[in-house]
Amino acid sequence: MEQTARYFDGETGLRLDVDLALDPAAQVLTLRHPDLPQGVQHWPMDALRALADQARSDQLVLTLRADHSYDSGLIETARLTVFDAQMIRDITRLCPDLRRRDVAKGTAQKVLTRLGLAVGALAVMIFVILPAMAGTMALIIPIEREVAWGKSMVRQMERFMGGDEAGTLICSSPAGDAALEKLTDRLTGTTGVAYDLNISVMNHEMVNAFAAPGGQIVLVRGLIEAAVTPEAVGAVLAHEIAHVENRDSTRGALRAAGSAGLLGLVLGDFAGGTVAVAMAEWMLNSSYTREAEAEADLYALTMLDNAGVTTRGFADFFDSLSDIESIMPDLPTYMSSHPETAARADAARDFAATQGATEPLLNDVEFKALKAICD
Amino acid sequence: MNATISGEYHGKAGPLFSLYFKTAFLTLITLGIYRFWAKTRIRKYIWSATSGDGDSFEYTGTGLEKLLGFLFAIVVLAIYLGIVQMALFYFGLNLFTEPRNDIEALAQVGAIYITLLAVLPLLLFAAYRARRYKTARTRWRGLRFGMDNGAWGYVWRALGHGLLTLITLGILLPRQTFWLEKYMTDRMWYGDAKFEQSGRWQSLYPGLKHVLFAVLLIGIGTALGISAESPFLVIGSAFVGYIWLIVGGVYYRIYAFNVMTRAKVLDGAVTFDSGARTGRVVWIVLTGIAAIIGATIVGVLVMGLVLMASLGLSFGSVASVFGDAGPGDFDPSGGILGGILVAVLYVALILALGGLSLVMITQRIIGHVVSSVVVGNAPHLEQVRQRAADPGADAEGFADALDIGGAI
Repeated sequence: MEQTARYFDGETGLRLDVDLALDPAAQVLTLRHPDLPQGVQHWPMDALRALADQARSDQLVLTLRADHSYDSGLIETARLTVFDAQMIRDITRLCPDLRRRDVAKGTAQKVLTRLGLAVGALAVMIFVILPAMAGTMALIIPIEREVAWGKSMVRQMERFMGGDEAGTLICSSPAGDAALEKLTDRLTGTTGVAYDLNISVMNHEMVNAFAAPGGQIVLVRGLIEAAVTPEAVGAVLAHEIAHVENRDSTRGALRAAGSAGLLGLVLGDFAGGTVAVAMAEWMLNSSYTREAEAEADLYALTMLDNAGVTTRGFADFFDSLSDIESIMPDLPTYMSSHPETAARADAARDFAATQGATEPLLNDVEFKALKAICD
Repeated sequence: MNATISGEYHGKAGPLFSLYFKTAFLTLITLGIYRFWAKTRIRKYIWSATSGDGDSFEYTGTGLEKLLGFLFAIVVLAIYLGIVQMALFYFGLNLFTEPRNDIEALAQVGAIYITLLAVLPLLLFAAYRARRYKTARTRWRGLRFGMDNGAWGYVWRALGHGLLTLITLGILLPRQTFWLEKYMTDRMWYGDAKFEQSGRWQSLYPGLKHVLFAVLLIGIGTALGISAESPFLVIGSAFVGYIWLIVGGVYYRIYAFNVMTRAKVLDGAVTFDSGARTGRVVWIVLTGIAAIIGATIVGVLVMGLVLMASLGLSFGSVASVFGDAGPGDFDPSGGILGGILVAVLYVALILALGGLSLVMITQRIIGHVVSSVVVGNAPHLEQVRQRAADPGADAEGFADALDIGGAI
């Protein structure tokens, strides 16, 4: 088994056509050329490594395993290119570790360290720095900007519900508007509110209400229809006012803006990445609004109590909500942005038991007018 | 040794396609983690297919170091992007609210550019680092190539030249092309031999001739069409001009590549020549696109047939429920099976299209360009000696994280 092969020593660009001999008995590949130091080199067969993923099947590029390397792979810099088909077959057959990729000691630890650092940096950014920055910014953002921003969010919501042009879904009737105003005044009369509240009713069957930045509150028709008493509507409104006062949606939007880019960075590069980012963001948002929700509930109960309104309506409303939820497939708690409705109903009922004398929020005529505001 | 060395490319479509398909599939099922290894393996193939004087190039990068570099880049980018993005958002220049009037709409367009501008230095930084990494992991005859550190110098030069080109409506584009390429070439090494970019930037101007023709065609055609009140002339000249503009852009890039390759010198002695042709590249791109479209049509047809076959089965079963055979023959599993099969075919088609683009377009263009390069005074290369290894802590992590650079 004697052939020639191309040899590069890894130090100079000089090409040597060496004579090659494979000696299975001594387990070495012998290279001979007058220009080699001492004219000969012995490459141990178990240390032979072939380069991977090569385009040419008519040649085999060999090198030797290295114990230490400043390069990325654990291999020597010398290269030997074999062209003879028989020699390639023999080497492939006789060298068991030819395709092995040697990995330096401590690599696993290095990977884990870097992974830990990266995850840590992201976590600190998303869960500590961004929320803190969002909290500060939400407090110093100029109120006009907050209002303008809130209005455009309401418009987006309207479009999402199917209103093509601005204002087409906003309900209004003289008696309904008067009832809504009375309800709002009763609630805010005793508890001061820093924002100019802009409360509107949107014509959609969804049972929902939301607060956008800058005092923009939207009650959806489905919610008013589902309410049995005016106190239930008042309770939801008080809850949304609490969100406005606490600047929850301002804070949330600021934070989402910061984390959106970060999550895209990590997950963005493979199929379905956008969905993964959206999911992750949603989970993130839900997890922090739950605290805000609990706080808003407490604020709402206090507000109702100050106004001399029973919180029983709040409890009733949550009971009807849990009826609706029981029809729907069970959502995991961490995926829903509100604390569990049964627990909220109990809290409101307990609170109602401690209340003194209360007055109805609206009379029957007014409540009927409010319910018919979209007709 | 020969006095001149011609570049050779030995890559084949079949093996590279199957390598791409295999690695893209692994990337998919590992939720993207394998992408570092996938990219490495494809580079190893393409590098090893390239040779001069019978000696193959070698790519020595590893997937592991790319993963480590990516993790490093994530830490830096997390802090930078998180803060920049929220600061921009706070100042009311956010991209998420809807504009209510023209001024707001304009401000938002401005905000998009500012956001891009905040990321642009990073993109340029990443581009230089990625080129440096690729260079440092390339070997020929066992000797490493290399590139000096200089990413930030590249960033501000690229920003300055880009701005100048923008202000002059592209008239100074050759200046930008030349000086940025010179900045990188002058920092490149083969072993201990240094590359140098000589020549003048003005010599790139002839390469812009087709772009100029296209602009003139669109301008004159539109003017004539408007004065003659002929919409056909306006649309026709715009269409032809647009196609011509794209081809003219390709022509410029290839012209600049040839001119600047001829003006490169290694170690003050080794010269280069390049004769890449626009016609060939345009042909490669057109036939490549045709192959991709053809494969898409075939793939969709096959999926349709599979779906029809499975639904036909379902129809048959449904008919049998109402027919004579009785409800015992009803078998809904046919439709489900067909659905699964179509989903598998769909994923396979997406992977195959990526592979076709690599094999039919990218690899053929690389093959053409490599074959068109000739090295002069080659015996001088024997005097070159090895250079020290570049550990490159971040590999091309920034480019990976910012998703630039494509498949190879």
